[in-house]
Amino acid sequence: MAKYSEDFTAQEMIVVAGSRTLEDNKVVFAGTGLPMVAITLAQLTHGPGIVPVFEAGAVGPELSRGLPLSVGGSRTTYKANYLLGLNSAFELTQRGYADIGFIGGAEIDPYGNLNSTMMGSFPEGYQKPKTRLPGSGGASDMACSCERTIIIMVHEPRRFNEKIDYITSPGYLDGSPNARWRAGMAGQGPHRVITTKAIMGFDDETKRMKLLATLPGETVNSVQEATGFELIIPNDVYEFEPPTVEEIRLIREVIDPLGYFVRKKIKE
Amino acid sequence: MYWTGLSPDEARQYLANKDKSKRDKRVSLKEAVQKFVKDGDNIGIAGFVNGRQPIAIVHEIIRQGRKDLTLSYQSAGLAIEYLAGAMVLDESKNSIKRMELAYWAHEAFGISPLLRYLSERNKVELEDWSNYNMSARFKAGSMGLPFIPCRGPMGSDMLKCNRAVMIDCPFTGRPIMLLPASHPNVALVHVQEADIYGNCRIQGPLFTCPEIAMASAHIIVTCDRLIEHDDMTRFPNRISIPFFSVDAVIEVPFGAYPGNSHGVYYFDEKHIPEFRGACEKFRKGNAEPLKEYYDNYIFGVENTAEFINKIPASQILQVQKSESGIRLDAAYTVLG
Repeated sequence: MAKYSEDFTAQEMIVVAGSRTLEDNKVVFAGTGLPMVAITLAQLTHGPGIVPVFEAGAVGPELSRGLPLSVGGSRTTYKANYLLGLNSAFELTQRGYADIGFIGGAEIDPYGNLNSTMMGSFPEGYQKPKTRLPGSGGASDMACSCERTIIIMVHEPRRFNEKIDYITSPGYLDGSPNARWRAGMAGQGPHRVITTKAIMGFDDETKRMKLLATLPGETVNSVQEATGFELIIPNDVYEFEPPTVEEIRLIREVIDPLGYFVRKKIKE
Repeated sequence: MYWTGLSPDEARQYLANKDKSKRDKRVSLKEAVQKFVKDGDNIGIAGFVNGRQPIAIVHEIIRQGRKDLTLSYQSAGLAIEYLAGAMVLDESKNSIKRMELAYWAHEAFGISPLLRYLSERNKVELEDWSNYNMSARFKAGSMGLPFIPCRGPMGSDMLKCNRAVMIDCPFTGRPIMLLPASHPNVALVHVQEADIYGNCRIQGPLFTCPEIAMASAHIIVTCDRLIEHDDMTRFPNRISIPFFSVDAVIEVPFGAYPGNSHGVYYFDEKHIPEFRGACEKFRKGNAEPLKEYYDNYIFGVENTAEFINKIPASQILQVQKSESGIRLDAAYTVLG
């Protein structure tokens, strides 16, 4: 049997990339949807010791009762090791107990700052935005206080902008030396950006986004073309290993058999 | 600095004078809303997104009509969408003036159509915070402190339009963010179990319910079931809201439907899209389905029991059957 799957969707690729980025025995703070699928896939492959945390209160549950539709839903609590509420969950991140936060947004800039609040002019247009988005939720808290964050995005030029309309979840701010520390943040900031086209990191000096790997079917050029700002392109960009047959089987048959999150078409 | 709801000093004064007697607080939901929810109030909405949202109380508020409300919550879905739907259908009867929020949408069910409708027309004043910010603001209120320090989201644009204050910590010298306490006039809370005096036992995640309740001047509690007081006090460390803080207790089975009440019923994956779909059609210019929804399920009924009567039994059985939450200490006698 072939090792690599030849039939997978963009969401499945994100899930596989997210899963492989997670180390075993880390505490991972996650939102609904693809991050949960990625965590579960990691648990079933290389990371059985990963501890998921949901901001509504559940710490270290098993996600074997079906994928939760909400980070506060009943399915987040099955066999949880600790369960209080939002304050206790976010206090864990401030204290340093959350190694990784999985977050997203509608818009991202080269420094990993994310917008999930509004499109339009800010601050003048704050009370009458062009498009109003749902708001921070817990993403900005995770962005500040989880030790590292992994950002998941749909890769389109309009979502990758040199300047975004509103910073909801801070990344490296303006990229100046120690910007996060000077702002008072505890966590180290964005570690990876995983998209439908590529895996990116951040340059140690400038804190600008740097291409690390292209996903199957993409090239350095196709990724740069889909990005609304200039990426740093190092010499050692590699092709990301495609999803294996086994990873795709686990996603489809074991983790999300009803296709709640993975089969949903990404809105272009 | 301005306060919405009560200032910390007013909140303290209010509780100092409150009747803390252990008395039977059962009233009808109609009476509770008449007595404790006023035009212009700051209302603390308990629950989290569509988990244990105070739907029954909100439907009753809509039937009675309340104006110029300020809504305070971390993440909410259905409760706010219902109030907003009532506002867009008839602003002379129900209206929201302001929201202090972290997130208003429905997670896997989609974005909030009426957040877009109202904010993009500047029909409601917004103050954005993070989930932890709103939770910590209620916590400060519940602790009797005027503010609480918090580590985020420093560097976010939220700070440019909300009342957070950055200072250098007097002990470490590092920047830290201070959040003003929140003291709503009334908290709307749905729990699984309560006794007649108002003691509440929450199953599953607590969300920010204890903090919202303890920060507010008044508390209206609906519960899926009233239980014997002795069964409640058998597990005193599982009481999340103590009786003397509560003003009214109403047994409303399915009081958080079509949302999730841990251990009792799961999300109704048919009804939530039905309501959200009507809101989305309204946003796109067709008001009729939303009007029909309200006429049928809210204005056309007297209470939650009648609302539930309109839902196919197969859907009700499904939300009960598919609920996976466990009750840690289910040993109780349902109050006869």
